[in-house]
Amino acid sequence: MITVIVIALALCAVVLFYTAVRSRRKQAAQSFRPVDLNAFRTLMDRDDELFMKEKLPHSKFTRLKRQRIRVTVRYVARIASNASAVLHIGETARLSPTPEVASTATQVMELAAQIRLQCLVALAKLSLEYAMPSLQLTPALLVPKYQSLRENVRRLGDLQTQTPIPLATAI
Amino acid sequence: MFAAFLGCMLSEHMSLRLVSHDVWIVGIALQVLLAAVMLAKRTWQTYPMFTAYVFFNLFGAAIGYAVFGNKVVYFYTYFACESIGIVLGLGVVREIFTNVFSPHPALRKLATIIFRVAVVALIVLAGGVIYAQSGNAKSIIHAVLLAEEAARIVEVGLIMFLFLSSSAFGLHWRQNVFGMALGLGMFAAVNLVAVTLIGHVSSTTAQAFNLAHEVSFSTSLLIWLGYMLAPERATTAVEVPKRAQLEQWNQAVMELISR
Repeated sequence: MITVIVIALALCAVVLFYTAVRSRRKQAAQSFRPVDLNAFRTLMDRDDELFMKEKLPHSKFTRLKRQRIRVTVRYVARIASNASAVLHIGETARLSPTPEVASTATQVMELAAQIRLQCLVALAKLSLEYAMPSLQLTPALLVPKYQSLRENVRRLGDLQTQTPIPLATAI
Repeated sequence: MFAAFLGCMLSEHMSLRLVSHDVWIVGIALQVLLAAVMLAKRTWQTYPMFTAYVFFNLFGAAIGYAVFGNKVVYFYTYFACESIGIVLGLGVVREIFTNVFSPHPALRKLATIIFRVAVVALIVLAGGVIYAQSGNAKSIIHAVLLAEEAARIVEVGLIMFLFLSSSAFGLHWRQNVFGMALGLGMFAAVNLVAVTLIGHVSSTTAQAFNLAHEVSFSTSLLIWLGYMLAPERATTAVEVPKRAQLEQWNQAVMELISR
């Protein structure tokens, strides 16, 4: 039995390495994808959800909520992918000869990493809600971090427009 | 070196044994080439542990080649080199971990905690393997293979953890680091299969595993060479995003977690 487990571990490893090589090739062509904010807001509207819960039969509400979660997951995945692209681009900006650009890029990378983590939390919550549609999980507590990211991104953008670096418009 | 080790122990099926031996020699030549490339690129400054690992493997192969005629001396040389090689391999995993996560302090803390949990879990699994199979280890060769199996479980598991965690966190690996992890992972995974099954199969199949293992090591050397020689991909202008887009998704996440 233990031999089977060990062999399974080794085979999983080989499959994982193959997947990593393939996804690395995809990452090379990775670009930012826009998020339709209005549609996303509608999907996230708790009042809308409560209204549906009151008005619809339980089975129909469950089906509808799961559909909404599936779409929301795609949005979160897109945001996570964008955060990953920021991390990648930030690595180049971090090496900028202008110290202020480099320092701001480091801060932006830090916050983008936190967004990536937050996306993982959001995906975990959405998975739980998908399994138990009657659940309404409490919000995460990292909102100030996102506010800070927004400010830093703006600052980095301003700094880069002052310096003639190709990455000036990056973030 | 593993091929030669088993070659010493298994005297049957000369053709497979000879092929394995030839592949072993090709592997030594590739190691010399890799060492030359690493010297030229001064990799010891950036990746000291990986450099030590490669040079030690080359040293071990040279010693192994020199004492190949004497089975007893070769066995102890193999055992000593393999033990040090595995420790250095785990050091390389640690070096890759540091390299991947050091630019991201926000992720490093969490990743370190998960890494430690993974180490403990893998040590428990490796301990379980030793406990479950220790009854079969009737000779010193089986005991050595069992110890190697346990160590490879930890090594493969940690490399898997690195790939999984960096994928979950959306991190981009540098070209060299990715090559190092990929080559080490492939080699360790094939070695794990070989050392696990070698005690349960016939002599012919064991020689076939032996050959597969040696081919995998040469493949890893080619992977390392390829990634060492390939230039780092630069961020192209196409990848550069617009600030408004960044704002858009950032706001979207905020709203999702605040709802």
